[in-house]
Amino acid sequence: MADDGTDRRFLGGPAGWISILLPFGLFLWFAQHIPAVAGGAVLRWDVEWIPSLGVTLGILLDGLSLSFALLISGIGALVTLYSASYLGGHPHYVRFVCYLMAFMTGMLGLVLSDNLLALFVFWEVTTVSSYLLIGFNADEAKSRRNALQALVVTGTGGLAFLAGIVLIGTAAGTFSISAIEGSLADHALYLPIFWLVIAGAFSKSAQFPLHFWLPNAMAAPTPVSAYLHSATMVKGGVYLLARMNPSLGGTDLWFWTLAIAGGFTAVFASVLAIRQTDIKQVLAYTTLMALGTLVLFIGVGTDYALEAAMAFLLVHSFYKAALFLMIGVVDHGTGTRDATVLRGLGRAMPVTMLAAMLAAASMAGLPPLFGFVGKEFLYKAALGAPAMIWVTGCIFAASVLMFVAAGIAAWRPFTGPLAETPVEPHEGPWPMLAGPVLLSVLGLAFGLMPDWAEALVAPAATAVAGRPVEVDLYLFKEVNAAFVLSLVTFATGFVLYLLHGRLRSGLARFKPRFDPGWDRLMDGVAAGAAGLTGLIQTGRLRRYIFVTFLALGLSTAVAVWRAGLSPEIPPLDDLEVKHWSVLTFILAGALLTAFTNSRMTAVAALGVVGIGVALVFIIFGAPDVAITQLLVEVLQVVLVAVAMLKLPYLNHEYVKTVRGWDLLLAISIGAMTTVILLAVQAAPLDLELTAFFEEASAPLAFGRNIVNVILVDFRALDTFGEIAVVAVAALGAYALLKGVRRPSP
Amino acid sequence: MSADLTLILPEIVLALYAMGALIGAVYTGKDALARPLIWSTAAVLAVVAFWVAFSSGDGSAFDGMIVKDGFARFAQVTILLSAAIVLVIGQDYMARNAMLKFEYPLLITLSVIGMMVMVSSGNLLTIYMGLELQSLALYVVASMRRDSVRSTEAGLKYFVLGALSSGLLLYGISLTYGYAGTLSFAGVIGAAGDEAPLGLLFGLVFMIAGFAFKVSAAPFHMWTPDVYEGSPTPVTAFFATAPKVAAMAMFARVVHDAFGGVVSDWQQIVAFLSVVSMFLGAIAAIGQTDIKRLMAYSSIAHMGYALMGLAAGTAGGVEAMLLYMAIYVVMNIGTFAFILSMTRDGRDVTDIASLRLLSKSRPGAALALLVLMFSLAGVPPTLGFFAKYGVLQAAVDANLVWLAVLGVIASVIGAFYYLRIVFFMYFGEAEEPFAPEVAMPQMIALAGAAILMLALLPELLGLEPLAAGAAAALVN
Repeated sequence: MADDGTDRRFLGGPAGWISILLPFGLFLWFAQHIPAVAGGAVLRWDVEWIPSLGVTLGILLDGLSLSFALLISGIGALVTLYSASYLGGHPHYVRFVCYLMAFMTGMLGLVLSDNLLALFVFWEVTTVSSYLLIGFNADEAKSRRNALQALVVTGTGGLAFLAGIVLIGTAAGTFSISAIEGSLADHALYLPIFWLVIAGAFSKSAQFPLHFWLPNAMAAPTPVSAYLHSATMVKGGVYLLARMNPSLGGTDLWFWTLAIAGGFTAVFASVLAIRQTDIKQVLAYTTLMALGTLVLFIGVGTDYALEAAMAFLLVHSFYKAALFLMIGVVDHGTGTRDATVLRGLGRAMPVTMLAAMLAAASMAGLPPLFGFVGKEFLYKAALGAPAMIWVTGCIFAASVLMFVAAGIAAWRPFTGPLAETPVEPHEGPWPMLAGPVLLSVLGLAFGLMPDWAEALVAPAATAVAGRPVEVDLYLFKEVNAAFVLSLVTFATGFVLYLLHGRLRSGLARFKPRFDPGWDRLMDGVAAGAAGLTGLIQTGRLRRYIFVTFLALGLSTAVAVWRAGLSPEIPPLDDLEVKHWSVLTFILAGALLTAFTNSRMTAVAALGVVGIGVALVFIIFGAPDVAITQLLVEVLQVVLVAVAMLKLPYLNHEYVKTVRGWDLLLAISIGAMTTVILLAVQAAPLDLELTAFFEEASAPLAFGRNIVNVILVDFRALDTFGEIAVVAVAALGAYALLKGVRRPSP
Repeated sequence: MSADLTLILPEIVLALYAMGALIGAVYTGKDALARPLIWSTAAVLAVVAFWVAFSSGDGSAFDGMIVKDGFARFAQVTILLSAAIVLVIGQDYMARNAMLKFEYPLLITLSVIGMMVMVSSGNLLTIYMGLELQSLALYVVASMRRDSVRSTEAGLKYFVLGALSSGLLLYGISLTYGYAGTLSFAGVIGAAGDEAPLGLLFGLVFMIAGFAFKVSAAPFHMWTPDVYEGSPTPVTAFFATAPKVAAMAMFARVVHDAFGGVVSDWQQIVAFLSVVSMFLGAIAAIGQTDIKRLMAYSSIAHMGYALMGLAAGTAGGVEAMLLYMAIYVVMNIGTFAFILSMTRDGRDVTDIASLRLLSKSRPGAALALLVLMFSLAGVPPTLGFFAKYGVLQAAVDANLVWLAVLGVIASVIGAFYYLRIVFFMYFGEAEEPFAPEVAMPQMIALAGAAILMLALLPELLGLEPLAAGAAAALVN
């Protein structure tokens, strides 16, 4: 930042000029469409983007999107002009401008897209560019943390929104917003769609309880706060709610969720605003209040409410951007933003004071500014709303506190005796003053000539309502309930302003803090992940095998359960003594395997089980199979035993700790296998092959023992191959055993 | 017979090449030939890939043992090309660590042949044969660094668990044989009919357990992190690409070609594997500090998403799965190209924290890696997003809305650790930025993958109609 406020290069060099001219050009382009849109036209252009997914880059220009587009490009031009001076000398100025332009593109795409998928892509572009802009001062740990927080909160909301989009596509059969016909309120998927869209909108627009990231996001440079976190990006969620109002609105759920969250956010945020001493934080919390108000009135959804919401959208963008830019000038000119320090800057910074006063008067809702018009209409709508007491109460409390906040943010710093500041107060350069002055003068102009705003408010309200809405904005017509309420607001606000020092210290004791919770959550996620991994991924092979068998056991159990199997226990009456003795033999071997403390004994006992199985084969008249089984079993025992000679000693203590689990697993897998075998046996086998071999073995192979015939005749080549494999394996094993020498001591 | 042989000519050529080169190298230069062999093997694989890609005509050989159709071609080309690229980008690492062994490229070739058989088989026994050929070669390359305890441990673990899963698969195959009387897919699908008999059902359950191990889907994933971390990095890069495609394609082939009539019987199991994999991969990766281990969990999560496409049980689902796998392979090749270059003072590092301030010293590489990380996380407008979108859409179309919603939640959790890498690269604090030398082949792979991720349109790659054709060939 250049200290004298003037950059070496005029307006930040080429990067600066381009970044100023681009939004300005876009603003002019959008502005030329005002007459057509005011006349009720809806303009659209279609570009096939990803035909296979049905994504059309449809640009839809109606009152709602035009209002947003004008705000985005107009305030964008003023903010980039401001930044050229504010950050013009910064070594990363070009990077900053690139992020800012990326954001603007994303935001324009967000409000102009007619396709929900394209809208989502732009939605994420704004999330990512906001992350980069909040973390622009990457050297500070706090910036990085707050950037990440904003990214995680809005990114999570964004993904919920994506899920909502997919469901909307399923429910409505289209991703095109303008093609969604009628309301989805009666669809079976309405509830999930509603909550997912709400999660997206509330995270983006920082509604309670997802509000905590927004004040932290003020770690960003001031132009970013003015642009993203006040005038445009945070209104993305409001835009989404407004856009989806015709499809999702009109239900009790919609009304109560939005009214309660919006109203609570508005009051809660304005209370917190009074508590702050950093003027930028005061403005951050009042932004939350404005967002809450917008959500509240979109939720109310009457013609008046939507009209008031759209008017307030313009009002707020004008005065809030002006105030944010103003506090940047003050910070720049004095070196501090502390409300308790700053006094009497009016003489040193007259132009800033003019802009600040006009904007703050608009924020306080004083006539004849646009803010007054906006507040009048909010009151008018609130008095006619369902749940009138709640809506009116919320908006009254918020307006009173807004009056106080305006006093803290703009009246106090510029009036009274001049106070000591870190830097000798001086006026900012013209590019930094242009924005606040223009915006605050616009606030005055629209206040005097509210008819001008009708050209935007009327089509915007119509688009949100999904039906034609008559709009008639005026500064003053008659003394009615809303006007009286305004007078009460001013009086209460004035009293509270005089008391605000005491109020602030009183409120300072009341500390609803979400941030430590957030940090704990992040730490918890990391620790939980590490713990989980440590639990299952121990690096021990035995644990891995355990898990594999467990998963297998569970999946077969589920299959058994789904098939509704109840295995029939075969009759045990015809078992003879030989059967019982073999069974005892096998069982004894199995138990010994499970309970012995020596590896060698275990292997030998397992061999006993195998020999028992061979005996079963003999009893049931298959001696050839029994011989094979016996051979394999002996070979296995010998091989394993030889391999074990090379293994380190068993850790008996460790084995004791896991034995119980292993036993449990073994029993359940064994039981599961038995159940499956019994069930499978009950079903008829495919006997085609058996029949073929019974028939063909004698005439074709001249043998009566089918198994022998299969082995030496029908599958002779296979048998030969098997013999070769066993021979080669034996050779390999021999070479290995010969080759391994015990390490010399 | 000669027509049959013509059909598998690419596999035969590769096998002859592998055996010829093996014998030739043993009797001549041995390890001195390693580098030329890597290049020539990569070239041969690439040539065969184009040959397979442009060969037309579907058909089956050896009484239906081998089926060459659009699906097989798509998977084979992906496998061949990714294997070729991985070979090329890994050789610097091999040279640096004195691991240039001539057996390496040839073992890779043998495993590629196994994979080609896996994806083009029409019979359970052919699948098993291909699988074992692939696995045996992989067990060896995993433990190729014989003087490293971790590498041998990785190889041993992989072998023991791999043998276990092969056993499960074989058990399932024999149950199926007992109740279908045949091992050919055409026969099994006939025997299964509209309602599979119990024996077939349990055979299917055991086979799916075996397949889940091969694709490293949770809860059969246990080997993955240890093997990824312990194996030499080029081998890890290989594990993360071609074998995954092969295993996934094999999985799809069996459940659709052999059990396509009883989708409801396996849909829930596959959906369950998908959910567990997505969440385990996403959550467990958060605590990792080693980038190879992190990529292991990342691959588990990605397999979860690919399985989501499979769980849909439709042609659209298979198409989404194939596209997902193709995009996943490209992302992984790019990422591993960078991991292979991660050195500090001539020593290999795999610690994530060592990436600090990469953006300062190597802005190009950092940017490419950023794009790849965003793509792996599924952030629009990268291809990774469209890959995820495709499988989510397939799941929703198949009335598995709950699965899609869980997938979205898991992807949010998963985004965390990809972004952490970005965080270290751009915002990390270090006295001295990490400045690895990225050689030309690795840089090309890294940049190429990143550019592809931003090419936005799946159509640009020409993949979508191919995948659609492949899926149509599989699901009738």
